[in-house]
Amino acid sequence: MTLHGVDIFIWSAETPDVPKEFGPFTLDLISNRGTRIYPGPAPEMDLLDWPRCRYLCEEEVTHDQIDELVNKITSLGYRWTKCQKLFRIDGVNAFSQPY
Amino acid sequence: MAHKVALIRGDGVGPELVGAVETVFKAANVNIDWVEVEAGLKCVEAGKPIVPEETIAQIKELGIGLKAPMTTPIGKGSVSPNVTLRKKLDLYACVRPVYSLPGVKTPFDGLDIVIFRENTEDLYAQIEYMATPTVAHSVKLISEFGCERIIRAAFEYARKNGRKKVVGVHKANIMKIGDGLFLKTFNRIKEEYPEIEAWDNIVDNQCMQLVTRWKIYDVLVMPNLYGDIVSDLAAGMMGGLGVAPGANYGTKCALFEAVHGSAPKYTGMNKVNPMALLLSGTLMLEHLGENEAKANIEGALRATLEKGIKTYDLGGDATTSGFAEAIASELK
Repeated sequence: MTLHGVDIFIWSAETPDVPKEFGPFTLDLISNRGTRIYPGPAPEMDLLDWPRCRYLCEEEVTHDQIDELVNKITSLGYRWTKCQKLFRIDGVNAFSQPY
Repeated sequence: MAHKVALIRGDGVGPELVGAVETVFKAANVNIDWVEVEAGLKCVEAGKPIVPEETIAQIKELGIGLKAPMTTPIGKGSVSPNVTLRKKLDLYACVRPVYSLPGVKTPFDGLDIVIFRENTEDLYAQIEYMATPTVAHSVKLISEFGCERIIRAAFEYARKNGRKKVVGVHKANIMKIGDGLFLKTFNRIKEEYPEIEAWDNIVDNQCMQLVTRWKIYDVLVMPNLYGDIVSDLAAGMMGGLGVAPGANYGTKCALFEAVHGSAPKYTGMNKVNPMALLLSGTLMLEHLGENEAKANIEGALRATLEKGIKTYDLGGDATTSGFAEAIASELK
């Protein structure tokens, strides 16, 4: 099992304006209620105050790099309530994709 | 003026079922301008998403659609076209009426229940992970917003349709936070509908009571996973997925669908029962305000069943098109 990213769930009524890139990571998507809203086209739907920002790196990353990314999000004033590290098993994503 | 309705012909037996609906609607003089939109296996084979964005946009623009069954391709990364449509169109209320029909023999005479299933949250939010190599973790997402709108939809339906009872179904004795929020919201909203008798029930008990005391139930409302299971249980009580209609409502859109699969092994055999899609179509007519056409078609369907004309799943030998023509002849 190799580490490739993190889902950061943020307590925010607005879709957060988080960095598109940070260190080795790229902002892969933002979802709300399990539906992708970034990159668009975003569906017309009511949003909850719990968007999820998914950062991924094609190469394996370290747990420290995840911590740095999460600290960066915190330093921007966003209050995360849940983080989930994203792994691959035998090269296959061990996490689901939103609709 | 014709009603413009998006039409997904579907995969497998879908096109045959749509043909049957078209035969009956034509005989009922329903003025529908079908706007065909793409989705399903053909899209995947053409290298497109299973539900292209143009299809989403077109259904949004028209505000209404009829969908025949589609096939979810097997394989990693495949997504369900049905769930995609529900999510992208925010069709939050899955409504599944089940009722007794003449000629459809079941042990459940006098069945008449409408199930409201929340359609966008719960364990269907598609938030799942392997937390370690040996532990999987699925997020059950329940929001007050999601609970409120489905519960309110159930009570509003009851009020509008003269239904007397609404039951909130949950498992809050175990999932005290997630289902607890559903129950708390149910108990708050029911106070706004004093004319409706409302109580809550635990989902396992509800399943048992459905098959022992079905006549006391009227409208049931529940989160997504329980709704998925209980609505198919109820469809079985009605006579099977071949006869049970379904509708999905959002604030701006409604999509009507047979909830059974595309039955690829029967493709082209003119064999499968078109009743589920036809009755979904009559729910659509009700949504369009075509109540007389709805009543006429459902009356013709009952008359056809009473004559013993049925498809194989109900013990008859009528073909898909033959059954549709029999209903159509009752309308002439």
